[in-house]
Amino acid sequence: MVSQAVEKDLDPVTFEVLKNAFSTIVDQMAEQILRTCYSFVIYARDFSSALCDRDGNTIMQGSQDIAVHVGTLHFTAKAVIEEFGDDINPGDVFALNDPYLGGTHFSDMRIVRPIFHDNELIAFSQSNGHWADVGGKVPGSFDMTAHEHFGEGLRVTPIRIWDRGRYLHDVVRMVLANTRSPEIAGGDLHAQAQATKVAEDEIGRLIAKYGPNTVTTAFDRVQDYVEKVTSQRVAQLPDGEWETEDFLDADPARGEGLVRVRVKLSIDGDRIRYDCSGSDPAVANPLNASNGSAFSGLITGTKMFFPDVPLNSGFYRVVDVDLGPTGSVLNATWPTAVTGFCSGAYEKIVSCVFELWSQVVPERAIASCFNLEYLLVGGQDQRSPDSPNFMWYDWMVGGWGGRNGRDGSNCTSAVFGVGEEVQPFEAQERLSPVVTTSHEIIMDSGGPGAFRGGCGVRKGGTLTDAGRTVMSYCNDRSRSVTWGIEGGLPSMPHGLWLHRHDAAGPEYLGATFSNVAVGPGDSFERPSAGGGGYGDPLLRDPAAVLEDVLDGYVSVRRAALDYGVVVTENDADLLDYEIDVAATNELREQIRQSRRSWLQEDPQDIAARYSSGELDKFDLVRRYGVIVDWGTGELLGETTKSFRAMIQRRAVACWTT
Amino acid sequence: MNSADEAPYLRVAVDVGGTFTDVFVQNERTGKSHVAKVPSTADPIDGVLAGVRAAGIDLDRVALFAHGTTVATNALITRNFPLAAMVTTAGFRDVIEIRRGTKQDLWDTYLDVAPPPIPRRHRLTVPERVDFSGKVLGALDEVEARRVAKVLRARKMTTVAVCFANSHANPVNELRMCEILREELPDAYITASSDVLPEIFEHERFSTTVANAVLAPKVSAYVNNLQDKLAGDGYHHDLLVLHSGGGVMTPATIERHGARLAASGIAAGAIATRHLAELCGFGNAIGLDMGGTSTDITLVADGEIRMTNQWFVEYGYPICFPSIEVLTIGAGGGSLAWIDEGGSLRNGPQSAGSVPGPAAYGNGGTVPTNTDANIVLGRLGSSLIDGGMSLDREAAATAIKAVVGDSLGMNVEDAAEAIVAVANANMADAVRLLSIRRGYDPRDFALVAFGGAGPLHGVDVARELSIPTVLVPPSPGVTSAFGCLLVDIQHDLSTMYLARADTARLEDVEEAFERLETEANKRLDAESVAPGDRAIERFVDMRYVGQWRSMSVPVGHPVRSIDDITAAFHNEHEREHSYRRDDAPVEIYRLAVRAVGAVQKPELTPAERVDTTWTPNPLGHRSVRYTGGREAVETPVFDRTHLPAGAELRGPAIIQQLDSTVVVPPDAAAVVDRWGTIVITV
Repeated sequence: MVSQAVEKDLDPVTFEVLKNAFSTIVDQMAEQILRTCYSFVIYARDFSSALCDRDGNTIMQGSQDIAVHVGTLHFTAKAVIEEFGDDINPGDVFALNDPYLGGTHFSDMRIVRPIFHDNELIAFSQSNGHWADVGGKVPGSFDMTAHEHFGEGLRVTPIRIWDRGRYLHDVVRMVLANTRSPEIAGGDLHAQAQATKVAEDEIGRLIAKYGPNTVTTAFDRVQDYVEKVTSQRVAQLPDGEWETEDFLDADPARGEGLVRVRVKLSIDGDRIRYDCSGSDPAVANPLNASNGSAFSGLITGTKMFFPDVPLNSGFYRVVDVDLGPTGSVLNATWPTAVTGFCSGAYEKIVSCVFELWSQVVPERAIASCFNLEYLLVGGQDQRSPDSPNFMWYDWMVGGWGGRNGRDGSNCTSAVFGVGEEVQPFEAQERLSPVVTTSHEIIMDSGGPGAFRGGCGVRKGGTLTDAGRTVMSYCNDRSRSVTWGIEGGLPSMPHGLWLHRHDAAGPEYLGATFSNVAVGPGDSFERPSAGGGGYGDPLLRDPAAVLEDVLDGYVSVRRAALDYGVVVTENDADLLDYEIDVAATNELREQIRQSRRSWLQEDPQDIAARYSSGELDKFDLVRRYGVIVDWGTGELLGETTKSFRAMIQRRAVACWTT
Repeated sequence: MNSADEAPYLRVAVDVGGTFTDVFVQNERTGKSHVAKVPSTADPIDGVLAGVRAAGIDLDRVALFAHGTTVATNALITRNFPLAAMVTTAGFRDVIEIRRGTKQDLWDTYLDVAPPPIPRRHRLTVPERVDFSGKVLGALDEVEARRVAKVLRARKMTTVAVCFANSHANPVNELRMCEILREELPDAYITASSDVLPEIFEHERFSTTVANAVLAPKVSAYVNNLQDKLAGDGYHHDLLVLHSGGGVMTPATIERHGARLAASGIAAGAIATRHLAELCGFGNAIGLDMGGTSTDITLVADGEIRMTNQWFVEYGYPICFPSIEVLTIGAGGGSLAWIDEGGSLRNGPQSAGSVPGPAAYGNGGTVPTNTDANIVLGRLGSSLIDGGMSLDREAAATAIKAVVGDSLGMNVEDAAEAIVAVANANMADAVRLLSIRRGYDPRDFALVAFGGAGPLHGVDVARELSIPTVLVPPSPGVTSAFGCLLVDIQHDLSTMYLARADTARLEDVEEAFERLETEANKRLDAESVAPGDRAIERFVDMRYVGQWRSMSVPVGHPVRSIDDITAAFHNEHEREHSYRRDDAPVEIYRLAVRAVGAVQKPELTPAERVDTTWTPNPLGHRSVRYTGGREAVETPVFDRTHLPAGAELRGPAIIQQLDSTVVVPPDAAAVVDRWGTIVITV
């Protein structure tokens, strides 16, 4: 008693049923991956699943997929088609991780299975997962000194790993043999291949029920549907052009000075257009983006202003993208290193898109969010006699930007992967000789604003029985500090502090470094920034500041410095604090009188006051707009110039008093 | 008064839902049962007592009183908590605020995860540290601990969660902190994470502990109060309260484990599903409990209810006790049909609620619901609840035409059929998530359709999934209350046991199991379960070395060999994920026991005879349109109370009863079995 749907075009019911069925299929793939994967990075949800049509266009992707894979899935399927053409057969499975073919970085291994009906290719399923290691010179495969990709890790151009159902053991072995953990990588490869099989089986079931033409027609209609919804939304928005810029911290080949990412948005009728020309040339470290991940950044940022619209190739049809000339920091080409794109150009693109759309759709405005960071500590675990390799590969939550009428979210996964979970330190301590010393919110880390940026956190550890251990850090925004909008202020700089067991105090290693040797007794700590503030902090409701003080999100001291709110502590144990209204009014007036001139004070002088301990990092980035090397206190003059111009544009220009 | 020669003979179950409080009464002497339905009340105890009165129950005569309650669930939803604090290891004050960092909706930057149940200002820290292996790296700082306890006393805290790093490996510091708190706050509830959930992963353990801390005072006050009221009216036994795991607990153990009641109100449907399916000879069943605003779906495989260890009310705050896996979707009789901006027909999750309700209720609703569509199609008649409420077919048709028909260019009947088809497809997709996604083939299952609207949609959903049989219980609307009578006292305990299978020592595993069983028996002692009524089952959670998730494999008592359980794991992995890796090393992750104290079940009396000579005696006929049929079909309408055991019907047929309507479409056949269940071959 199975109903046979009409085999011409789709009635609304069959369409809705199949649309939901495709969505169920990709989520089924995700569930299978979670239950069978080996890599803790994949288990933490750094993966994606997709169903693509015979031309490689994305029909559906998983509802909890990592954002950074968004907009690259169709490139992956198309790369397989481009490579193998007619030589794609039932029972084949392919693999690739090539960022120069629309991928993200080498760590993201993509497994693609063609789906056939009666020997005719009708679709592809793909399962992409971040492997814990793909070889190269640094454990975890993030070599932050790389200029070119050689030595970063194994580059896998599209290869066949099953040939008509026969497992190509030799080929796979060669790939696995180039990783530091072949067993784990092998476990993931099988889990991913099996997940793509789930989709094949389910599509087969749908075909048996609805017929092949109905199902393949639905592949097209689901994309048409998304295109229609998106273009109707865009058509309701005002036409216009908006542009902005954001910065990476530095190009190691060019000394100090911020590196520009430019994005221009145009809305023209029912179309969205992005133009990224005017961005600086590629930098001499792997923070560059290649075209696939740059496209993904534009799509990810845009999608967050259309949260309820499903995402597939129909969405991309509404968006025209011009990345500008090749060779830029966001349009890097072979063999330029791009492994750290997610902390670098990608993140800046998303922040720019947030700011641009905040002007188009002010009711969904959001300031800059904390920058993704990856810390990798790898070596030998000498707690057991055979000293196996260990990998303490960690990423943190942080603060999201303040919003129109609402504070930013505290402690949230990076925009790059909102569904990516942070790891439990209890599991990390079992697997690695690192004792976590803290994992907690940093007081005052949220960027001040009428609506405060969300709070960031700190996490640190002490190495115990660690042999031949090195540390690498893939991060940014130690200088191009997470910023506010509409008068809101920046949050705080990134960067890792290492305290060696035999040293008097900690040293500042910054936000990007590789292969720093560390050993037993050494400890480290780094912050994740809060979000940027939204709106003039002097307009924040003093009662909200008091609540923040009660919860320890904001200190009594910075309540005065950042918000001009004077809070009196009567009894901290009993949470008895009160606002001194008269003193608050007076202080807010004083700050109004002075705050523009603070941003003009001699940077050298400010840097010296930082070195002497009179000022701290919050004072520098929020009040004086001065950027220094946070370890040595040395003034970064060019950087400060750009940073101050940024504060003029995003904060001062919006202050009405 | 209970006369000496008359032992209590009534078994009573009361299930409190959002709209109604349902009562099911089983008379042991006569074998007969009866039901009652009263509106739920602000203080649920009033509804329970009203239900007892409505059912005409003399509490003197009650041998067993079982109860499913949403008190804990509602407290979690509304955040109606007592003043609660948390004490944790210095440096880790924000574990429950950091969570795992994720959001339920990846794309909506204005949709936030709820703040933690205990705000930061009431989370205090003390210096102490235990490492992953249980070694004490730093003893509890007693001076600081005492100071923190005094601060909490000054703040008049009524409940405190104590959550220390790695306390699952060694609870010494955590337990010492509890002692100090008990000295300083003698009237407060003190909950230790190592007691609530002695498992690795700090956020999951802390979150469960915090749930227990915020729920325990409220939940234990509620059950003690109810127990007292029932006792005052003559009930002389323990109140049995359903917990999330599908067993019952008594007020004595609820005091320490309040969070176990978090899903009390929604677990009973799964239990009833299992029971009804078993009576009909099905070990595999899917429960489809479709009410006014949502549908709860559960799965029973080989006689076992599908469980989960991660259940939550608010995203980000898991309660990690074994809980019946209930998938709730926004598809109910009152779910709204609408056209989205892409021109696609959608159904739910928004609901018309009780006000204004479906358009046919005539209370001002203008957006069509599933109920309206069923009326237009003739599947629902013109009155509900035995004529107590009339339905306006014209209003239903007008709403369907205005919202759906005109947009899609369909006539009213086609539009109504489309609305129902989308609702059915959504339910079928949800069933797929629980079945196919878990490696179960729906064709091997029976669908148990209940709740007010389940029997209307059951056959269509079954056909969508190729499920061959639909079972409709005797009283679909009070099936969950019935489920409350079918459970045993049950406690689930677990311990971490991390070892590779090839080096694990059988004696160590056995010893760890025995320790768990000692604790389990203590709890059963507290609930006065006689030794002969006890059963303890063992489970080993295992995984391939390197994998993150583990699978639970039942093992014998005593464990015979590690090789046996490893083999069982390979088989289970292959069944669930369709591949196995015999060469890959396997590790043991966790040991668990389920301790059961048998509670006597109602003995349903089957019909004495099966009437094979019954001839159809419809109340009348009406025109009904069925899925896939272009034309309406003249259909006989039966009163369920007129259908004896053995009655056989060929579709099309409509069967009406007090709390539901059963649709038997053309080409389906229905028979009433000896237990009063309608068995439909689809």
